Amino acid sequence: MNPIIVFAEYSAVGIAAGGIYALIALGTVVIFKSSQTFNFAMGEMMMLSAYFFYTAAVIFDFGLLPGFILALVGSIAVALLIERFALRPMLGRPFIAIVMVTFGIGSIIRGLVSMVWGPTDLQSPAILARTPVMIGSLFIPGKTARAFAVAVVIVGGLIAFLRYSRAGIALRAAAADQITAYSMGIDVRRVIAFTWVIAAITGCISGVLMANVNSLTPNLGLVALNVLSVIILGGMNSIGGVLVAGLIIGWLESVTGFLLGTEFREITPYVLALLILLVRPTGLFGTAEIERI
Amino acid sequence: MAAALEIKNLAVVYQGVIQALSNLSLVVPPGSIVALLGANGAGKTTTLKAISGFLPLQDGRITSGSITIGGEDTSNLAPHVIVRRGIFHVREGRHVFAEMTVEENLIAATFAQRKSRPRKAAFDEVYGYFPILAERRAQQAGYLSGGEQQMLAIGRALVADPQMILLDEPSLGLAPLIVRDIFQIVERINREKKVSILLVEQNAVIALKFASYGYVIENGCTVLEGSAAALSANQDIQKFYLGVDAHAG
Repeated sequence: MNPIIVFAEYSAVGIAAGGIYALIALGTVVIFKSSQTFNFAMGEMMMLSAYFFYTAAVIFDFGLLPGFILALVGSIAVALLIERFALRPMLGRPFIAIVMVTFGIGSIIRGLVSMVWGPTDLQSPAILARTPVMIGSLFIPGKTARAFAVAVVIVGGLIAFLRYSRAGIALRAAAADQITAYSMGIDVRRVIAFTWVIAAITGCISGVLMANVNSLTPNLGLVALNVLSVIILGGMNSIGGVLVAGLIIGWLESVTGFLLGTEFREITPYVLALLILLVRPTGLFGTAEIERI
Repeated sequence: MAAALEIKNLAVVYQGVIQALSNLSLVVPPGSIVALLGANGAGKTTTLKAISGFLPLQDGRITSGSITIGGEDTSNLAPHVIVRRGIFHVREGRHVFAEMTVEENLIAATFAQRKSRPRKAAFDEVYGYFPILAERRAQQAGYLSGGEQQMLAIGRALVADPQMILLDEPSLGLAPLIVRDIFQIVERINREKKVSILLVEQNAVIALKFASYGYVIENGCTVLEGSAAALSANQDIQKFYLGVDAHAG
């Protein structure tokens, strides 16, 4: 087979996988922009959502859509609890202390999930068709392509929401300048809680998709560590930046796996993140004044 | 008629130790323009922050005294609640949302409305007072000139339809002609909409020209008060704030 075609195929698959990275990163960046909190528990929130979905759709057999809606409600409730009882009391504390809290929450969720659902792989119900998608002569696995399509729709919807809705304007106002936002009657604490709802939604959707493309294990959330490199590349406070960066990282993983072998695939995002931190610590599109992790 | 705003013997401490206000009292009657004068660090901005509820956001605390708005004690309310009671704080340095458009800045201010009113009516009123903002409505606020940003900051207050505007250093960094324009519009807003104004200004000349009454604060205490005419005639005021040398000639 023509190596150029194969390369193009790996590229397309990688970009498609990057769509989910962008979705996860978006949830993380929205929280970061409004409250300067880096949420290391994002991956675990996502993984927990996938277990919620499995429990509702398979164990209780409510069906796919009701199962998903229940998972969404559960994810939002968990996110609001985390915000209210773990992070709001930390307001005004040093950045590193807040980060460690989210790290701890991630570990707790991972441990609890192993206890409740067991550490072994579970088979998530098939929500995405397997039939491959052909773009010209390029062959893209069906689940990956469809997961990408869902990610694009959700990301597009969220961006339109942030751009045009009154709540989106309140969110941007609170992210830009909390005191001035308060002076216009915007309840900044509610806005921050609301960003956790957004993160819960993107986390739930990406978790369910991820469990469907791969399989459902308590380690599902580790993929969010790749997203850390997406955020470093895109810029911690740039929504557009992390979307582009998500696709770049997905692409890079896929083509290095093809060109250098799958063992390089795992380390690529981290090598890239390291380079970015050395060369351009604010990321491609971020602005300065960001405390580095 | 109850005073729109009354502050009695207010004391404020930052970070538990820094005494910013020790004994400050003032009254702003409904519909008036009252000036608050004083040197740098006298406590003018702290006074406004105490009224609008910003102190807890900056590690400050009211240790004694009271603030009442329309007879009701507001010293324990959150800032977003106070603004919805009709007290809008236009902060020093304008603080427009630079990356949002002029119109989005105005939309952000709709959260401060006591009761919601049609967006178009509110914005048309703003554009009526500041026609330049209508021309710039789709531009990013960060690209406006300093004077236009100050107009937008006051325009956001108008959207909220407040009883009172706390106006902190509106002349800061602006050319004298623009300052004059802005003060004339503020006076029109005061007259036509019966909005009372508590004005903090370094520029005492212009402040006393537009205000009807004034307070002078030093080291966090009210040291002098009187009608604008009486203050303008006071020799100490002339010497320290108006730049007039009493012994000249």
